[in-house]
Amino acid sequence: MDVLLTKSEKKEASPTQEKISGSQALLECLIAENVDTIFGYPGGAIMPVYDALYDYADRLSHILVRHEQGAIHAAQGFARVSGRPGIVFATSGPGATNLVTGLADALIDSTPLVCITGQVFAHLLGTDAFQEIDVVNTTIPVTKWNVQVTEAKDIASAVAKAFHIATTGRPGPVLIDITKNAQNELFEFAEYKKCTGIRTYRPKPTLQVTEVEAAAELINQAKKPYILAGQGILLSNASEELLAFSEKTGIPVASTLLGLGAFPTNHPNYVGYLGMHGNYAPNINTNECDVLIAIGMRFDDRVTGNVSKYAKQAKVIHIEIDKAEINKIIKADVAVHADAKEALTLLTSMAEPASHKSWIQSFRDLNKKEYDKVIYPEFNSTGEIKMAEVVNQLSQKTKGEAILVTDVGQHQMVASRYYEFKNPRTNVTSGGAGTMGFALPAAMGAKLAIPHKQVVAVIGDGGYQMTVQELGTIMQYKIPVKILVLNNNFLGMVRQWQQLFHAKRYSFTEMTNPNFVKIAEAYSIPARKVDQREDLSAALQEMLDSETSYFLEVVVGKEDNVFPMVPAGAGVSEIILEIPKPTNA
Amino acid sequence: MKQDFTLEIMAENNFSILNRIVNVLNRRRVRIKKLMAHENEDDFRKGGAVLLIHTTPDLMEKVKHQLEKLIEVEYANYTPGSNQYMELSERIVDVD
Repeated sequence: MDVLLTKSEKKEASPTQEKISGSQALLECLIAENVDTIFGYPGGAIMPVYDALYDYADRLSHILVRHEQGAIHAAQGFARVSGRPGIVFATSGPGATNLVTGLADALIDSTPLVCITGQVFAHLLGTDAFQEIDVVNTTIPVTKWNVQVTEAKDIASAVAKAFHIATTGRPGPVLIDITKNAQNELFEFAEYKKCTGIRTYRPKPTLQVTEVEAAAELINQAKKPYILAGQGILLSNASEELLAFSEKTGIPVASTLLGLGAFPTNHPNYVGYLGMHGNYAPNINTNECDVLIAIGMRFDDRVTGNVSKYAKQAKVIHIEIDKAEINKIIKADVAVHADAKEALTLLTSMAEPASHKSWIQSFRDLNKKEYDKVIYPEFNSTGEIKMAEVVNQLSQKTKGEAILVTDVGQHQMVASRYYEFKNPRTNVTSGGAGTMGFALPAAMGAKLAIPHKQVVAVIGDGGYQMTVQELGTIMQYKIPVKILVLNNNFLGMVRQWQQLFHAKRYSFTEMTNPNFVKIAEAYSIPARKVDQREDLSAALQEMLDSETSYFLEVVVGKEDNVFPMVPAGAGVSEIILEIPKPTNA
Repeated sequence: MKQDFTLEIMAENNFSILNRIVNVLNRRRVRIKKLMAHENEDDFRKGGAVLLIHTTPDLMEKVKHQLEKLIEVEYANYTPGSNQYMELSERIVDVD
């Protein structure tokens, strides 16, 4: 058309916008989604994005980690405590594949993440170009959704969909793989529009009143009703609704690992923590209740033990937003496919006030057995320092109000048992995936998300060394996280299983560890080691009082075990409090 | 007891959608006996697949919900036996 214009004719002013690159568009989209913090690591295929980021330093804070796994776990920690999606940048090839563990972890633990990976130029896709890996197909099984973008014009819609998918329904990680040509391409960037719906995606089920009525009917007739509270309570911000429901109905509440914090542990209706290394009473009474009310949880095998022996006597009510979880492991007599907050609000209005004092007392009586056999001896040991007493002191000193970030293994189970969580979103751990190396970077992310809260990473000596390089990130950005390593010079949980089930054949679980204090000091982090009980309290206090990051190593019993324990293959009511005595058969 | 089921899936016709579907079945070790995938004649942005699979009724129901959990999947319906597979796949071939 332009060629038909003569010099005397003025070209009509068109609403032409200034062209920007795909990379700039990406950053504008992130800002429009209220992103302020990005965890990442640059590389060849994402350099245009990093070049654009140079001009956005006033609006986007980028945390340069030391390994992409550190970036994604940090983003998980950020998301878990804040409820906002964690953002990750990584380059193509190994940069992207280094995210896979964190994606899997975030998927199973329902953590919203938006990960951006650079990719080789579109014309090189499938040619085995340098650092080219098929990231979309690699990450399909470990993402809620992923997509590859090869043209700049598609970046905004991909980002909008990504945020919508990551944060709605059951949250999860999404990944956008952007080819380098799309990052470089100049185009007219229109206004960013948030995604409000996708034709084939129905994240929020409509609450069915009939389902809630059926649940209320069972609950109102129950003599021994029992609530299992999962992370779905936290994800739907339904802690207050759970409290109101439990208080009105007098129903005892136990928590899953990820549900810790959803219900105050000092509440009289709280009866303990579920699972393989959970409390004695919640496991035993799972097989004594008459109505089991599972809310926002997925009956993980660490909770159910042998499913053929799980709550066979009970009517099961399952309130769950993810339809694929209903009847997946445990058949529900009444399924309420709904958001926990909505379902609990209606259920509370339909439930009759009740009291179940003798039923709750049965939990207290059973937990007394655990106290006498396990807890009291652990708190009053005169030998080597026990993990339990360290966590107990930490809990007392922080009044159960710190954000506790744990790794995976014995220390995780002990911390979950003994830390008295008071508030929602204060327990950050790797649950379903059981990712060693999670805690140190996740604690960084948690601290950056909520700077005014005390954040303590409790880690074993094995997991600590899997992502110890992130001390560099802590040093560079002066992130005042507290690092508490419980060192038994063993991969303790595997060793415990080797002791109990493999005739004490300690196959490659003993570790010769470095001088952890010197390592921390090399990163300018104040550090201390404690191996005497009389020094423990002061050392913990010094750590908590420190205004900077702080590393504390506590040497604990080398061959201590975590009890109670539901042995592999056993039912939850077959939980044991100590090593079974050999029979004379 | 395992038996044949015809599984009909409708979805957005995005890259990798077939991989996503097959991944769900592979992960649960569901045997795929036949598979026919297509894009819609009147709208290439949509498509679907018809599969003949061999599994238990219990797993069939669970897999249906796991497939419908995929963002791009509109629905996954199944019927026992292989008759429906023949019908649906012939219809797809006729359209082509």
